[in-house]
Amino acid sequence: MDDKKKQELLDAFSEKLTNAVRLYMDGCTRCGTCIDSCHAYQSMPETRYTPVGRAQVVRRLFDRYFKLSGRIAPGMNEAVEFTDEWMQQVLDAAYSCTGCRRCMTVCPFGIDTQQIQGIAKHLVNTAGMTPVVLNMLADMSIAKAETIEDTRENFEQGVKNLEAEVIEKWKSEAGEDAIPIGAQDANVLYVALAGKHSIIPAAAVMNAAKEKWSLSYFEAVNFGAFAGNPAKTKVIARRIIDEATRLNVKEVAICECGTAYRVMKYMTGDHPFKVVSVVELFARYVKEGRIKLDKSKIEGGVTYHDPCQMARNGGIYDEPRYLLEQLTDNFVEMTPTREDNWCCGGGGGLVAMGEKDFRMKSSSVKVDQVKATGAKVLCTACENCHTQLSDLNEHYDVGVKVEFLSELLADALVSE
Amino acid sequence: MVDRILYVITVPMVYLAVVWLVLGVIARIVMVLRAPAHPHTLKIFPERKAAPLVALWESFTMPTVRKSKPRFWVFLMLFHAAFGALILSHLDLLPQISIMPKDSPHMLGWGAVGVAVTISVTYFLLRRFASPVREVSVPADYLLLFLLLLTVLTGDTISWGNSWSEDGFVITKQDFGTYLDGLLHFTFEDPADTLYGSHYVVVAIHIFLANLFMMVLPFSKIMHAFFTVALNRFRRV
Ligand code: HEM
Ligand code: SF4
Ligand code: SF4
Repeated sequence: MDDKKKQELLDAFSEKLTNAVRLYMDGCTRCGTCIDSCHAYQSMPETRYTPVGRAQVVRRLFDRYFKLSGRIAPGMNEAVEFTDEWMQQVLDAAYSCTGCRRCMTVCPFGIDTQQIQGIAKHLVNTAGMTPVVLNMLADMSIAKAETIEDTRENFEQGVKNLEAEVIEKWKSEAGEDAIPIGAQDANVLYVALAGKHSIIPAAAVMNAAKEKWSLSYFEAVNFGAFAGNPAKTKVIARRIIDEATRLNVKEVAICECGTAYRVMKYMTGDHPFKVVSVVELFARYVKEGRIKLDKSKIEGGVTYHDPCQMARNGGIYDEPRYLLEQLTDNFVEMTPTREDNWCCGGGGGLVAMGEKDFRMKSSSVKVDQVKATGAKVLCTACENCHTQLSDLNEHYDVGVKVEFLSELLADALVSE
Repeated sequence: MVDRILYVITVPMVYLAVVWLVLGVIARIVMVLRAPAHPHTLKIFPERKAAPLVALWESFTMPTVRKSKPRFWVFLMLFHAAFGALILSHLDLLPQISIMPKDSPHMLGWGAVGVAVTISVTYFLLRRFASPVREVSVPADYLLLFLLLLTVLTGDTISWGNSWSEDGFVITKQDFGTYLDGLLHFTFEDPADTLYGSHYVVVAIHIFLANLFMMVLPFSKIMHAFFTVALNRFRRV
């Protein structure tokens, strides 16, 4: 590796050195408490899949370049220099961590491995090693905002084509659009994903609640966050913020996507509108009596997988449970649950990247956890988790039905 | 020659180590303070009521370790409590402070504090030689614990050796007090004049190791002592 590239990597590292990150770099005692808190290590017991093992890949670079001791006695902390081989390890660490932050709940200091792997991703990106697909998806999201005028008509036509399916689930009032777009002053701007499964059930529920809503032109998912690219993360989030501001909506409801929710709610500053997850919105509809649900639709036990970015990292625990209690008398909690729940193993961009072999091997602990519930329906509220859990279901022949919460709700809607 | 070395260790080097420690720790803290604030919240959920207090409580009682690694937690608490008591018991040697009765020949804790640290450090060290902690450890982790172990072992030798020697306490608590008071008042007197005992050389080795410990501290992970509250705050607040 030449000096210019090393300097670029060093600059990239420096950009990441916030007060918290410095503490994360300096504070770890390598006590090992976090080791078995990671689903990847639980499923594949190798040091490189431990939180501290992954963090060391980054910390050893920090020791070399940002600490006196690393320069005087590099062997003491096994400090390393930037090399092509080491960057391969950085890549491995960055994209074998889903950023679930389960390890952070056990560490005596609360060290956040996701932020440390955020450095790894930034370095990987600077070295031009980011998985092509993540950058491509991020760039496509950005391009969509730039060419919105050219694609608007196509998008609107595509959405129109879905309306019949929405009406099948819930008949809208006469004269109203089943899927309104670009509605000024709406109460809710619903930000979905590309894919009708993310639009139809939610539209049916909002129509049933007689909500004054509008569908966003943009998809919620933020591939910039997965690619560890803060600049792209901002631009991608900005599209939605600008749209919501222009339409003067009261609330932005993020679809079932954990990362999109966390980025919009907690990582992009203050907004002139409220940010909610669609799960919170739907729970509110039930509480206010705006929608009614039929409890007899689901057969067999139902369990719920807390998406890490929504629950442990976003605070949404009670609403999905409240909704499921309206949908079934047969709800079973997973063990462990809530903030201790095992990550599905698909976050951090792994699902988008493919990586099926690693995803399946690193998540056997999740499969055991689901099997132990004895449930027939495995419900979740995140696109990534849903894909990963479906893949696990098939790969390990678990025999459950993996469902989105919104889908279960839409299917159980009843009129008075 | 040996006398000279012992003098350097017991007087000038102590000043050097303390100044080094203070400046080093300040420098490390300043580096963190000068770094830009993290751009978004790092807390995990559910949110706690009185989050700053929870962070403080967690910093000193490590409930997350108690839950996931109870045995390790017992040794961690033993070590840290005893280490705190050890610092206090050294300060108590000064004639100005008298937690133990002034005329008592014993240090605070009657030597048990040192033994508690010895046991817990031994446990930490053994634990580090076992998988899976071994695989994530670096040489500095072992050396630090080894240095600590040698320091407390020599400390134990002084406190226990004193009481085992034939003529009772050769170097008494009051003698050490005189030495420390001399340091405090920059008298530059040779402690060999007051600490006359057969094992004075063990005392000097103990002081040498403690000096080393203070000097490596700002470069070491023991900086967690100064960082833990801030770290725990990020998780909760
Ligand atoms: C008050 C909050 C503190 C917390 C939560 C804390 C936590 C920890 C933890 C988790 C370890 C790991 C043990 C291991 O490495 O296996 C440790 C070790 C240690 N701590 Fe602390 N500590 C605190 C304060 C202090 C203080 C005030 C000191 C005093 C100097 C100190 C000195 C040490 C030493 C010497 C070790 C042994 C290092 C090692 O094991 O390699 N700690 N501490
Ligand atoms: S639990 Fe925290 S301090 Fe201990 S090894 Fe893991 S990250 Fe480091
Ligand atoms: S954030 Fe999750 S995936 Fe990453 S190291 Fe921690 S527990 Fe493992």
